[in-house]
Amino acid sequence: MITFERTGKRFGSLDAVKDFSITIKDGEILGLLGPNGAGKTTLMLMMGTVYRPTSGTITVNGFDVVKHPNEVRRLIGIAFQDPRVDGILSGFEVLNWHLKMTTTLDKDERRRRVEEALKALDLWDSRKKRTWLMSGGMKKKVEDAKILVQRPSIAVFDEPTAFLDVPSRLLVWKMIRQLRDEGSTVIVATNMMDEAERLSERVAIVNKGKLVASETPEQLKGTVKGGEVLELTLDDGSEFRPDMLTKFPEIHDVKKQDNKILVFLNSGTLLLPKIVDTLNTQGFKIESVKLKEVSLEDVFLTYTGQRLE
Amino acid sequence: MSSSPTLGNGLSKTAIAEKSPTHLIVQMALRDVSVLFRTPWIIITRALAFIIQLFVFAFLISGLIHIPGLNFFEYYAVGSVVATIASISFVIGYDIFEEAEEGVLDYLLTLPIPRREFIIGRALGGAMRAIIYTIPMFLIVAFVWGFTQPLSILTALLALFLLAFGVTGMSITVAVSVKSANRFDVVLALLELAVSRGSTALYPITFMPFYVSLFAPFSPVSFAADTARMSLVGFTLDLPALAGLVAFVVIFLGLGAAFYFRRLEGGIYG
Ligand SMILES: Nc1ncnc2c1ncn2[C@@H]1O[C@H](COP(=O)(O)OP(=O)(O)O)[C@@H](O)[C@H]1O
Ligand SMILES: [Mg+2]
Repeated sequence: MITFERTGKRFGSLDAVKDFSITIKDGEILGLLGPNGAGKTTLMLMMGTVYRPTSGTITVNGFDVVKHPNEVRRLIGIAFQDPRVDGILSGFEVLNWHLKMTTTLDKDERRRRVEEALKALDLWDSRKKRTWLMSGGMKKKVEDAKILVQRPSIAVFDEPTAFLDVPSRLLVWKMIRQLRDEGSTVIVATNMMDEAERLSERVAIVNKGKLVASETPEQLKGTVKGGEVLELTLDDGSEFRPDMLTKFPEIHDVKKQDNKILVFLNSGTLLLPKIVDTLNTQGFKIESVKLKEVSLEDVFLTYTGQRLE
Repeated sequence: MSSSPTLGNGLSKTAIAEKSPTHLIVQMALRDVSVLFRTPWIIITRALAFIIQLFVFAFLISGLIHIPGLNFFEYYAVGSVVATIASISFVIGYDIFEEAEEGVLDYLLTLPIPRREFIIGRALGGAMRAIIYTIPMFLIVAFVWGFTQPLSILTALLALFLLAFGVTGMSITVAVSVKSANRFDVVLALLELAVSRGSTALYPITFMPFYVSLFAPFSPVSFAADTARMSLVGFTLDLPALAGLVAFVVIFLGLGAAFYFRRLEGGIYG
């Protein structure tokens, strides 16, 4: 179990993480979802004993990260956002060395694990290539593979599929799930909605260093009132004001982004003609209309007021 | 059914590994040593450069310098092995500084190795690397001047190793305490200049400018050079110089590193 208690990290005058409290249960996959600069990496590096929190505490299986860093390091493995691999080493050597440092496996077992992971990630043919000659995607897979072969009790992946092509993303997701099935607690930091939704049992939304919400993706969607979203695109939305629509009791919230209007409501199909009517009378020209179920994207927007790109 | 964890089929998690400190130190050290063997041509070209330097430059100079009772060519030959080992030992600081800039240091710091073992391992690795690197040069010198006494060779190697170990400790301390890249380069270059040029490695005290001769006797490079020469040429043990070397190592691995632990533990970025 991992507990962040009012954890904070200041860099100079910037609060990269502020008053952050969460408990991560054993064996769960937690998605840390937030835009760039939200503080996800800082959170992971504090947990991994690289940065020291400037306020609050973090305990990992009861060990305080500041007072017992050596115990914590034996529990955690972090796959970094930017690959941290010795350029002079090949993919095989990087993984083998990582296992030497983090496990007591003998040579044959190390070899077996590394081979298995490299094959699964489609890296076996280039196992002897020095990593500085690898493409960004290949290097990223080697970085992820470090933790996949290590199988630590707590596995952290910082944006594990950034810069990966679609087949590779699916492979990495599958292997991360496997890791959890084998008993690891998994934390995945991501700024990609689909990754958070498809991988995690619980999503913690982080924005500007703060925890905004943490629930299962389904529960999060449930917290958005109405359950449906109507997305309208106007040819010119500059004159639009949300209060033009909030007079309808079925409409719970209205958000405007340039020419795009998001209406959170229920009974959308029944209400749609009235909304269109209202907007037309006000002189707006509607270019397109889309009615959909609430997605995690909408959740993110209602909690943070911004969209993830 | 076996009760031990199955590893091949990917169905079990690795037990928490608590490895012995010595094992971790050795692994860290080997990492730095192995870099050398990935680029063996560096050792070869450096050894060639050394031979040229020694047999052209030093031979010419030795024709100009005549000191009664001193074979300057031999003096210079042994001294330049010592000076080389000192400057190679400084390299580890550059390595670590670069790792910090590239972020590899962050990775190394998440590994289950206590900071103390980490630093000792890196200093040891840097020292072993410097020794391996200079062995061809040492052999050339030993062959040309006929140093074959095993005990005196061992003593000389011990002095070289202590010097290398202390210098790597010093270099690492500087690497983590200076944050700006420019300042780091300047500090290390000055330090290298001070300990290696301001020493008796290449010239006897009598040939030095007055102000250099004041501190040259206290340079760890002088301790190592004097110990090596006394044991190889004079078959005697320079105990005070050896003691000085040990003190040098202890100071920089102990004091310097203690300050360094605190810094690392807080995160190198504050
Ligand atoms: N070492 C550092 N020094 C100063 N500021 C930092 C450092 N690391 C991160 N930051 C700042 O802290 C904030 C959070 O960064 P980060 O944790 O990397 O966010 P994320 O991983 O969610 O993109 C950003 O504003 C970033 O610029
Ligand atoms: Mg990040």
